[in-house]
Amino acid sequence: MTKSLDGLLVVDLTVEFWGSIAAALLGDFGANVVRIDALGAPAAEPDDEPAPAWNARAELAQRNKASLAVDVMSEPGRAIVRALAAKADVVLTDRPFAQLQTLGFDYDSLAGLKPDLIYAQGSGFGPEGPDRALPALDELAAARTGMMPILPQPGRPPVYPGHGQMYTAVMLAFGVLAALRHRRRTGEGQQVDTSLLAGNMYGASLDLQAFLAIGGERFLHPISRLDAGNPMSGTMYMSEDGLWVTLTMPDTDRWWPAFAPLVDLAVDDPRFDSHEKRCGESRLEMMRVLEAAFRRRPAAHWRTVFLEKQLSADVIEDYAFPAADPQVYRNRYIVDLEHPSLGGVRSLGFPIFMSESPARLFRLAPCRGQHSFEVLHDILGYGEDEITALRDAGAIG
Amino acid sequence: MANALDGIRVVDLTVWFQGPVAAQHLADFGAEVIHVERPKSGDQGRGVRSIKALPVGDWNQYFLVINRNKKSMALDLKTQAGRDIMYRLVERSDVFLSNLTADNLEGWQLTYEKLAAVNPRLVYATTTGYGHYGTTQKPSFDMTVQALTGLMSRLGEPDEPPIYLGMGSGDAYGGLMAAFAILLALHHREATGKGQMIDASLYGAQLFLAAPTLQAYLATGSTRYSRQQSRTAPLNPLWNTYPTRDRWVFLCVPNTDEGWRRLCRSLGAAAPATDPRFESAQKRRENATALVALLDEILRDQDAAEWMRRWRELGIVASPIANLAELAADEQVWANDYLMKTHCEEVQREVTIRGLPVRLSRTPGSVRSLGPELGQDTELILAETLGYSWDEIAELKAKGAIP
Repeated sequence: MTKSLDGLLVVDLTVEFWGSIAAALLGDFGANVVRIDALGAPAAEPDDEPAPAWNARAELAQRNKASLAVDVMSEPGRAIVRALAAKADVVLTDRPFAQLQTLGFDYDSLAGLKPDLIYAQGSGFGPEGPDRALPALDELAAARTGMMPILPQPGRPPVYPGHGQMYTAVMLAFGVLAALRHRRRTGEGQQVDTSLLAGNMYGASLDLQAFLAIGGERFLHPISRLDAGNPMSGTMYMSEDGLWVTLTMPDTDRWWPAFAPLVDLAVDDPRFDSHEKRCGESRLEMMRVLEAAFRRRPAAHWRTVFLEKQLSADVIEDYAFPAADPQVYRNRYIVDLEHPSLGGVRSLGFPIFMSESPARLFRLAPCRGQHSFEVLHDILGYGEDEITALRDAGAIG
Repeated sequence: MANALDGIRVVDLTVWFQGPVAAQHLADFGAEVIHVERPKSGDQGRGVRSIKALPVGDWNQYFLVINRNKKSMALDLKTQAGRDIMYRLVERSDVFLSNLTADNLEGWQLTYEKLAAVNPRLVYATTTGYGHYGTTQKPSFDMTVQALTGLMSRLGEPDEPPIYLGMGSGDAYGGLMAAFAILLALHHREATGKGQMIDASLYGAQLFLAAPTLQAYLATGSTRYSRQQSRTAPLNPLWNTYPTRDRWVFLCVPNTDEGWRRLCRSLGAAAPATDPRFESAQKRRENATALVALLDEILRDQDAAEWMRRWRELGIVASPIANLAELAADEQVWANDYLMKTHCEEVQREVTIRGLPVRLSRTPGSVRSLGPELGQDTELILAETLGYSWDEIAELKAKGAIP
């Protein structure tokens, strides 16, 4: 088994969860990712949650990385980061533009040391425009994207979904690989950029694109679940035991003969006997009929018959479902880990299958500074005395 | 200008959204993407006529945007002659991408084993519903798989229906993951000369999409992460959505004493600055529901613009909660090419489309054309890329391999 990104040196100058995930994705596929953990920096976790015994989010975001703890406020500390960047293939960061300038970690400064460097930067709102300096918070980007008002049912508060940042993380990693391809062919490095706003917008793909093309109030206000465009697609109905089921059968003619009998309807019921009627004149009536039909039986019944008839429909579960689903473990989407101090723990695994160079857990998330010596000695060639002196001076930890 | 993926040829045998959007990312950066479609009706995405009970209008934005920058080849893979064309195409391509079912691919003899024998350097990519391994066998669409992940159940106020993240939200992520995986495999091929098989499933991608809360759930098993939480009972009442007189805002203030002092300063005379229930971070957390109720009342007193003005002055981070119309008019998205205007052949006018979410400074992506007409490039690809003579092409037509 080989590594997809064998031999690639990545300097991880990120501080946010999503930015760190982008670097971890490169580490998952074998890149040598050195994370710069700033000494004396405040903990990255939000202050509104009681600190958990085990930082699960950090375990995911910092896995497959080495940690070099550096005081970036000191000149010797910054010199170490620069020396590392001069040897790196990729620098990846989500720090604010102004801070990177002040620290001398901006593209122009680092590309001066390593002309073919790939410098990947995630920000809140992109490198251009009046709001480029706004903080990189997923909440702000989600608020700007236009989806929050239309996610809930009519009259309910806007909903913050929280997943937009995850698109951004993968887009940043994708951009790095595209830039690497260009470098292999031409020897040229370059800047890669994306943002939380870009990620949230991309996640809103179809609603956004449909609004841009069609427009109108229906995209600006929530639509009641019983006013869907197609009673059999994108809809949800409550079952007898209070669990919800959801249907996605957009081309209803294909599914109707198998579906109708399950909900106690005759296939030739004159109200619903064509796609045009189901999605047109009888649309609202059909949703009322389905609403009553699904309430007559429990979710487990619906799952069984959906599966039997191979319908595109399922029960809406909570996280307990994937956490217990053998399919998930078979594909390593969630993995069981043996943690040296905590014993067995569970973590998200790897969303991608590769037959020859799969993702692997090379190492658990490091303690801050766990690999400072190793990085300085093995990658930068510092002597033991030099390293001791830097440590004594407080430049590294 | 050079493109990052110049010289990469992709056979894009996909339908609907997740597969096509994966290839769109590659096409945006210059890969030659050939969308292979059924001769009669093509990719099912071409058939989308309405969205949210509204007619799509005179241009089918569902299909045309995610198939931009691509060629289209119409091929009947049910015929042996059609499959022979596919083999020759695969022999001369770098990537084969499909989101058809495994049964379909097997029936048409387009399995990994078959195609890798034709081209050992091939990257063979699938976007399945539930993963490369395992026994789960059922249809998979974005929302039915999102339903299984648990993402939907945790959103919204308690006792409200679950919430879908938006049309194509999961497909978009699966597609992006597939594009990333394809570049990983191409990178690996440079070093080793070997192709491989990759898969980015809808289920796997959407579980990763849930990371911000699913990872915490896996560690704790706490329903705080898996069930609906009311905005009236947040962990930090200063970091929450609030109604103002005219619209909702998202207030993002850390629950520190300094954050609290600043917020109170912005609230004027009504501020509960000395209320002992809110005098420390811990008390504000304990009395969150009372504080949310109070802030609801105070903030309803002014328009969002007035609050935003005061908050900006005090360095308080917040944002009005925009709708899609405001996004479409947002200067920031135009400055960064997140939305773009392009010419649409179908309607002979300029249209607005989703732009480039990732940008590269030397080899920026671009939108050169919207989605192709069904089969528009079939003959040219046969003649120029695959080296068929015009006589052979006529013969292929007679056999029904191409229209």
